[in-house]
Amino acid sequence: MTAVEPRAAAGAREQLIRRLNDLGGLRVRGRDGTQGAVTVRLLAESLEAATHVLAGTAGIRLADMFADSAGDVPTLRLVWACDADEPGYIITECEIEGEQYPPLSDIAPAAFVEECEIYEQFGIRPAGGKPLNRLMLPPHDGTELPTLGHQPVQPPAEVHAPHTVGGQAFEFPFGPVRQVGVESLYYGLVTSGEEVVDLYLFTWHKHRGVEWRLRGKSVPEAIFLAERAEGLSAVAIGWAFAAAAEAAAGITPPPAAARTRAVALELERLYNHAAAMAALCQATGLSVGQAAAEIALEQLLRVNAATFGHRYLFGIIEPGGATRAPDAEALRRELPGAYGELRRAADALVCTNSFVDRLEACGILTAEQARRLGLVGPVARATGLAIDARRPAPGPYADHPVSVVTAADGDVFARFTVMLGEAAESVRLITQFLDGGTAADHAALPVKGAGGAGLGWAESPRGEALAWVSLDEDGRITRARLRPGSARNWRGFDDACRSQNVFTDIPIIEASFWLTVAGMAR
Amino acid sequence: MPLWFARGLRRGVVTTRYPARPDGSAASLPTPPAFRPGQLTRELVDEMIAVCPGPALSRIDDALLFDAGACTACGRCAQAAPYAVTPSGEFELATTNRTALTRIIPILGDQR
Repeated sequence: MTAVEPRAAAGAREQLIRRLNDLGGLRVRGRDGTQGAVTVRLLAESLEAATHVLAGTAGIRLADMFADSAGDVPTLRLVWACDADEPGYIITECEIEGEQYPPLSDIAPAAFVEECEIYEQFGIRPAGGKPLNRLMLPPHDGTELPTLGHQPVQPPAEVHAPHTVGGQAFEFPFGPVRQVGVESLYYGLVTSGEEVVDLYLFTWHKHRGVEWRLRGKSVPEAIFLAERAEGLSAVAIGWAFAAAAEAAAGITPPPAAARTRAVALELERLYNHAAAMAALCQATGLSVGQAAAEIALEQLLRVNAATFGHRYLFGIIEPGGATRAPDAEALRRELPGAYGELRRAADALVCTNSFVDRLEACGILTAEQARRLGLVGPVARATGLAIDARRPAPGPYADHPVSVVTAADGDVFARFTVMLGEAAESVRLITQFLDGGTAADHAALPVKGAGGAGLGWAESPRGEALAWVSLDEDGRITRARLRPGSARNWRGFDDACRSQNVFTDIPIIEASFWLTVAGMAR
Repeated sequence: MPLWFARGLRRGVVTTRYPARPDGSAASLPTPPAFRPGQLTRELVDEMIAVCPGPALSRIDDALLFDAGACTACGRCAQAAPYAVTPSGEFELATTNRTALTRIIPILGDQR
């Protein structure tokens, strides 16, 4: 691994931007709504040096990388999250002449999955000829599917399969059809009988081309699809998308509508963490605990329905604001009971040795692994990294700051305790947002002359959700990038499974990550 | 384990007839649309088809074809034509016959 280690001390965003300017970068002035994110345009020859600077600074993490073919040549964009003193984002963008660009994943390993995706979709690849995996397009009829840019000259080589297995190990294929209601996902499990030697995933069975379908749509039309990129994070990814469109159009949602969004986001976190707890019980064979967690889950879903009129909180976020205000009276009345049910089940679980024993020292990830791979959410926080997309301004959390829950051990039990801590924090925040006042209100999107680009973010139950939207003068989408938390964290799953775990640990680790395949194969 | 055994016994049998009691939150759930044939015109139906994000609505001459199985109850058709569309209140849509979810609604508004 030749990845750059962070040696430079954490610095303010402005200092970093000045260093990028010294390398030939040009700060792009955005609209007023782009507060919290700064775009720096780089010359192609300074892309590698700028990536070195950013990857080598403590507290800076590669949050996303994507391409855009709006101009004559593709543009590569890297989104860097600043998690230190002044949370926010830096976007570096660079036009790529020709079919190759510097191998950025050699500098920042978190870029590898996106390098594969960009090659599939736009036909540009990192120099050096490193093998790339298939990500979205299936190997058999990939060329027939539409892509966002032009097709690659050579299809990706797929270094995963055929997998070479030596010695006593053998490969155990599992999926893509799994249990009844579980999403399509193919596991390639390499094992010698009990211990997981290696594991790789194929996620392309579920690819739906959501980003491709968003092109040409107006923002109000598009939010319907954006929410469904990861339905279990509908509020978070919908909020990130709406915030990106608002930044592009230069508008800000009214504060009461922003607090409405925050109430929905915390309710989403609560029901997802309850569902993860039920899944952990199922994975450990604790059926009574599973039933107890599912009772809490059902009660929380009913709270959602009573508060917002939808069990899974769809249709609340609209560009510029929120379509529905929460029924504050119902929420104040019903939430303590539902959360109490969750708490009682959790308290019983942490006193159950047969449960805790399966979680401790299982699926360990270190803070160093999480940082290198750019992991987010409870998975990263369980390793000690205090990463949370609710911290960067602007937004309702500026007035009601979140207390970021972390743990140190990086195992399944650490993730479970982080989720429990976050559930308590969500209840506290919901009360504060209700006290602050909520409403169904919105700032109008300009119909004409709305052209621009912007970045949006929200902290989903499974981690930071990002969206980047570019609008033309008619307010139509020219490129929308959606990056749910799952798209980040699946890359840490195989590392967690390989760390001296046995076969039966895998469902436990998967439950503790609580990711969706939809978010990866959007 | 005894803790969980006792807990299970205390809660008793959790499987009940469906529904055990009316769901209090059901009234606030989004439900598929119900159409008023007398208010529907071909032009209005075409507008609703355009805003429907899925394949739930289609038109054959003077009839609106509504597929409740493809409807997500997003409410966009009701927003486009509030006087012709109301929430049906139906959310118990399970059936053993897929075609039972498809309805043909005559378009009678043009005849007035």
